[in-house]
Amino acid sequence: MRLLTLIILILCHGLIGLPASVQAAEPAAPPIDFVTQIQPILKTACYDCHGPEKQKGKLRLDSRELALEGGGSGPAIVPGKSGDSYLIKRILGEGDEDRMPIKRDPLTPEQVVLMKAWVDQGAHWPDHANIAGAAIAKHWAYQKPIRPEIPAVKNTGWVRNPIDAFVLARLDKEKLSPSPEADKVALIRRVTLDLIGLPPTPAEVDAFVNDSSAAAYDQLVERLLANPHYGERWGRHWLDLARYADSNGYEKDRTRSIWPYRDWVIDAFNTDMPFDQFTVEQIAGDLLPNATPRQRIATGFHRNTMINEEGGIDVEEFRYKAIVDRVQTTSTTWLGTTLHCAQCHNHKYDPITQKEYYQFYALLNNADEPELNVPSEAIDQKRKATLAKIANLEAGWGAISKKLATTRPAESQEAWEKVVAAKSAHWKVLEPVKFSRNYGGSIAKLPDQSLLFTGDNLYRDEYKLEFKPGDAKITAIRMELLPDPSQPNGGPGRSPSGGWLVSEFSATAGTSPLLLHHASADVGKNPENAIDGKRDTHWVMTNGDAKPHAIVFQVKDPPSITADAGLSITIVQNYHQQENVGRLRISVTSDEGDIRVSGVLADIESTLLLPTEQRTAAQNLVLRDQYLFVTPLLATEHKKVADLRKSLPAYSTTMVMQERAVPRVTNIHRRGEFLNLGAEVTPNVPAVLPPLAAGQPRNRLTFARWLVSAENPLTPRVVMNRTWGLYFGRGIVRSAEDFGAMGEPASHPELLDWLATEFIQRKWSQKAMHRLIVSSATYRQSSVVSPALQQRDPANELLARGPRLRVEAEIVRDISLSVAGLLTDQIGGPSVFPPQPEGVGAMSYSNSGWPTSTGSDRFRRGMYTFLRRTSPNPQLITFDAPNSEGVCSRRIRSDTPLQALTTLNDTAFVEAAQGLARRVMVEGPKDDIGRATYAFRLCVARSPDEKELGQLLAFHSEHLARYREHVETAKLVAVSESVKPPADVDLPQLAAWTTVSRALLNLDETITKE
Amino acid sequence: MNLHQTTRRQLFKDCGVGLGKIALASLLVGTKDAFGSPAIDNPLLPRQPHFPAKAKRVIYLFMAGAPSQLDLFENKPALVKFDGQPIPAEVVKDQRYAFIEKNAALMSSRFKFSKHGQCGAELSEMLPHLAEIVDDLTFIKSVHTDQFNHAPAQIFVNTGSAQLGRPSMGSWVTYGLGSEATDLPGFVVLQSAKGTSGGPANWNCGFLPTHHQGVPFHGKGSPILDLVNPPGIDARTQRESLDLIHSLDQRRLNAVGDPEISTRISAFELAYRMQTSAPELIDFGQESKATLDMYGAKPGAASFANNCLLARRLIERGVRFVQLYHEDWDHHSDVAGSLRRSCGATDKPAAALIKDLKARGLLEDTLVVWGGEFGRTPMVENNAVLGRSKGRDHHPQAFTMWMAGGGVKPGLTLGATDDLGFHIIADPVHVHDIQATILHLLGLGHKKLTFRFQGRDFRLTDVAGEVVTKILA
Repeated sequence: MRLLTLIILILCHGLIGLPASVQAAEPAAPPIDFVTQIQPILKTACYDCHGPEKQKGKLRLDSRELALEGGGSGPAIVPGKSGDSYLIKRILGEGDEDRMPIKRDPLTPEQVVLMKAWVDQGAHWPDHANIAGAAIAKHWAYQKPIRPEIPAVKNTGWVRNPIDAFVLARLDKEKLSPSPEADKVALIRRVTLDLIGLPPTPAEVDAFVNDSSAAAYDQLVERLLANPHYGERWGRHWLDLARYADSNGYEKDRTRSIWPYRDWVIDAFNTDMPFDQFTVEQIAGDLLPNATPRQRIATGFHRNTMINEEGGIDVEEFRYKAIVDRVQTTSTTWLGTTLHCAQCHNHKYDPITQKEYYQFYALLNNADEPELNVPSEAIDQKRKATLAKIANLEAGWGAISKKLATTRPAESQEAWEKVVAAKSAHWKVLEPVKFSRNYGGSIAKLPDQSLLFTGDNLYRDEYKLEFKPGDAKITAIRMELLPDPSQPNGGPGRSPSGGWLVSEFSATAGTSPLLLHHASADVGKNPENAIDGKRDTHWVMTNGDAKPHAIVFQVKDPPSITADAGLSITIVQNYHQQENVGRLRISVTSDEGDIRVSGVLADIESTLLLPTEQRTAAQNLVLRDQYLFVTPLLATEHKKVADLRKSLPAYSTTMVMQERAVPRVTNIHRRGEFLNLGAEVTPNVPAVLPPLAAGQPRNRLTFARWLVSAENPLTPRVVMNRTWGLYFGRGIVRSAEDFGAMGEPASHPELLDWLATEFIQRKWSQKAMHRLIVSSATYRQSSVVSPALQQRDPANELLARGPRLRVEAEIVRDISLSVAGLLTDQIGGPSVFPPQPEGVGAMSYSNSGWPTSTGSDRFRRGMYTFLRRTSPNPQLITFDAPNSEGVCSRRIRSDTPLQALTTLNDTAFVEAAQGLARRVMVEGPKDDIGRATYAFRLCVARSPDEKELGQLLAFHSEHLARYREHVETAKLVAVSESVKPPADVDLPQLAAWTTVSRALLNLDETITKE
Repeated sequence: MNLHQTTRRQLFKDCGVGLGKIALASLLVGTKDAFGSPAIDNPLLPRQPHFPAKAKRVIYLFMAGAPSQLDLFENKPALVKFDGQPIPAEVVKDQRYAFIEKNAALMSSRFKFSKHGQCGAELSEMLPHLAEIVDDLTFIKSVHTDQFNHAPAQIFVNTGSAQLGRPSMGSWVTYGLGSEATDLPGFVVLQSAKGTSGGPANWNCGFLPTHHQGVPFHGKGSPILDLVNPPGIDARTQRESLDLIHSLDQRRLNAVGDPEISTRISAFELAYRMQTSAPELIDFGQESKATLDMYGAKPGAASFANNCLLARRLIERGVRFVQLYHEDWDHHSDVAGSLRRSCGATDKPAAALIKDLKARGLLEDTLVVWGGEFGRTPMVENNAVLGRSKGRDHHPQAFTMWMAGGGVKPGLTLGATDDLGFHIIADPVHVHDIQATILHLLGLGHKKLTFRFQGRDFRLTDVAGEVVTKILA
């Protein structure tokens, strides 16, 4: 035993470089395994100077061939002869030369012993463990898994399905036996926690224990897989990978709405959407033919990246960072590959070049990032009804205004027309013939000759427009800003509130600049700033109102323009935030005089200047409508309609991807620096993996299909490995995020490949694989561990027992609320704000507050707690929930005093204790033994043994006696705003049971899957 | 070897995901665990540095938002001479700016500078208290960084990378040295003014085990979240509840054999000890009136002054790394008026901290660091739209930091900038160099203090950093 421990120690030291020192020990020489025992030492101690990047002394130690060949000083290893091996001499520091490694701690005596023994045993070095050169392309993870033979084992009676054969074969080899099956109580609690993330009720436990039929367990599994909480439980794991959060991150960390994506994930798990479809919809749902709204919602997966809204940033720089995050998330989630290591230079260990990194990046670099209204029939109907009411009211406006105008003729339509006509000019709307902007993003020409700017919304954008106004003398130019539903707040600008800013507006006829003066605008501050020649002063409108507006510039000494000269206009928007114009239209006039903005659209001005009889019916209608919308006669009516409009229910929104028509160009970023551009690259996947489908466009859709193609060697392995890890506490490959050369070897390689091929054979059904795993004898083993087995296999790598693991952060909360009878059963919907300690949000930069939920929202499952990135909920973070800054493929499982303080003292858990006590008194038996037993069973499913019961009862009676003397204290303990006592309750009793409940909720067993 | 030891070894093996399991549990130094064996191999137990250290602990005064070096430390007569004139293009080159134009006008400081102490260090009139102790300080006027937006720059100073997910300096230090605190966390974060741009990423432990995470203490009320018992639960009931939990957990441990249970029992015990020791920690009642006055500390207030005093009390109790954030230095407008406020809140307490540490003999092995995430421009920021005038924009090219105590040369000024205070002209010190130097003073080699994650050895200084030997005592 001592030896095994020693080797583990040595390995650990090598693997993780802990600064702790290890004890010396006597040498030993059992067969040495290169991959698990020697290569970790080489990786840590040698490869920095004698590996893929550097070959000091021309020596390279990452393939057997090269190590035998040696460097400038001759062969490094002589198999079988450690005494003659140069490598061993140097690590011992023999001779005149420095001891290796030079700039690090020398190898420990144990490591030296291992190295010597390995060389003496023949320096066995399997081909697959070579890192150098072409060898790594043959690394196991890059080969398509071949379905392995199911091994023959002696104890066939133990085997429930092929999983067990693989596990047992390994146990046989290790001369270990599996543990007996867990008792039924432990089993139902384990599988219930695993599949739905909630504990079973005592009634469910009894039903299962009393069902002696052979199918009882299978039926239990089916019931759980059909339970909608299954989607929550497994959806939350997926959200770890998706880095889901309810805020944008960075300094400002504004709230975002993307919970409809979370609902989509839960639903996809519940309907057992095949994993290939699940993948394609999330990566490229918008590109599917006739994409449904749900498929577009699924693309929220990659919208979970952070958004920096700090003042003065370069928006494009943070878009770059978001794509970098998407590359890392995609490669970790599907490929288990550290592709991101090649962002700044070629990958040091895996066969991925920097160019290939940016080719992969290019596949993800061609989307706009809009928000989507989530369709809702309920909202459709409400809106329809309200809009009908509005239309009905508006239809009556003509009659009302006519009637009112009889007493107030100064406000009649005729009078209004005269007033506006006096301010109008003959405007000619120009058709833009060429248009561009500084950055990418779409510009669409609409039928009314306006231009709509969507997609990238960068700061400091500049629009360049060209027109052919024909032979004309232009005396004034007018820019109309028009609303559009695609813009924030309806536009017309593109700031988050629909506002905009124009720093400089200039026009050139042919090659001569026009002299603009007398700027006038119907809204906004300082229209003259747009023509003052200064780029840092602006015409500004902070908020949009989804209505049209205009700015008019007069031309000083207007020249005559010839038809072929053309008119070009430049609009500079020079600001440190997104304040660009969203939709605009240009018109010109040759009228003389002091031409100013009138408050109506250009077409209306032109109509007004026509003699009445020359106006068309359509023009008359437009005029009349315009009048009706502005006349003070209808002030009351306007208010009514405005109020109705305000009452229109809004659709929930969610963030989605939308492929761009014009592809973005992707370049290599030298050293990974945003501004340091290298060669242009075309979209592609790394050459070490199978190619993209031939003849298909190289876009996200082709890429998504590639991720889940039958040829991809990584995806099914990576997904199955992660799933396995969630059940057993560690993956078959422990480094779930790295299957590459530096990843860890699989503990059961054949089992992994069998699961991967089985996953595809079962048409990527996740439920089928869950069923398979939880039905295995391996999973059903008892987790009770003997000291001998604990010592032999502390991490349960060999699976000679069942898993025993503390549950995840959210489930710590869910268990407490569930056993307390407080849990709200609602699935999905927006995030909620359960109580959290005071002052948590106050110390975030945004200080956004925490509107603590009341009523049923106070008691939702942990996965619905609002996730503000800069001020995460302390209970979740303390229990190792990820911080949503990036992909998380396996959580840390820590055990700290802060966790103890949380479950002992946090409001959520205090309320749970009160709820549990109330439940015990209301639902449970009326005697103390019965109540103690009931409370205990609610928490841990099993009944207490005599000694445990005795302790609970003694604790209860002692505190009951105290609370009888101090009823006020009893009230403080047992009752809170949100957990009211039952009518006519015996308060000291309730308090005593609350105190017992609090202890029970804090048991290790309560928050552990056994 | 007993079961207990096996599991600890195993936990090391699981590191990268599972080392956190060990937790603070065995901080109960000298106690026996459930198996009767002494707690060993604990990652938070004090550990020997790589080489003899000058400093044993750090108090880092992080002036978040970036103070103007040109109004506090850098006297530039040329700025007075050229005040109001556009900065020459050849000085700015292709530096990007957050808010201002490249040809913005130069602006001189509105404050008077004068020389102080034996060393003759020059300070503006905004720092009268610091002026009294300049001979104890080491100024570095040539610090520069790669980042010019607040959140990435703060995270860069703390973690050596603007990318998220790397461990912060305090986490690296407790990872390397453990902590001498027996019933407090090893890395404590205190905040005043407002929350930081970088947020919790500033004190995150990244891929290091969770117990290396900085624990934010709260200025008002209970310093640690959930430290106070629920209503109606007195100390006795809490103790009795813990005894019951302990006993039932122990019974389960005997039945199922999972050593994790023993770790949890220890974690609960330490939680209880934190409950009893933290109130004593924040009770300023034991401090003399003279001390309180020197800091300007007022019991119960959430202020930088209180945090400075609390920092001293934390290191007295063995806490390894205390980081104070004062996020109120982002003076895009009215730099003069804003500095009066920020210096008013910080100058006296920071100076008091140095005086107090010195008087108590703590300064010689405590390193105090003062600085922001970048500097501010010699050019003025005016922006009518934002209502800004006479401010200064972000300036990553040069800024000033100071250090005091453990292992740095007192009275020294290192580095210099050009006449306009724009570029460094002598002894540039990169943020990675600052990090390397802090680790060096603690006896840690910055290239040696590594953690293997995803197949790579990570360190605080990424792939760069040189110890600034010129400031070493």
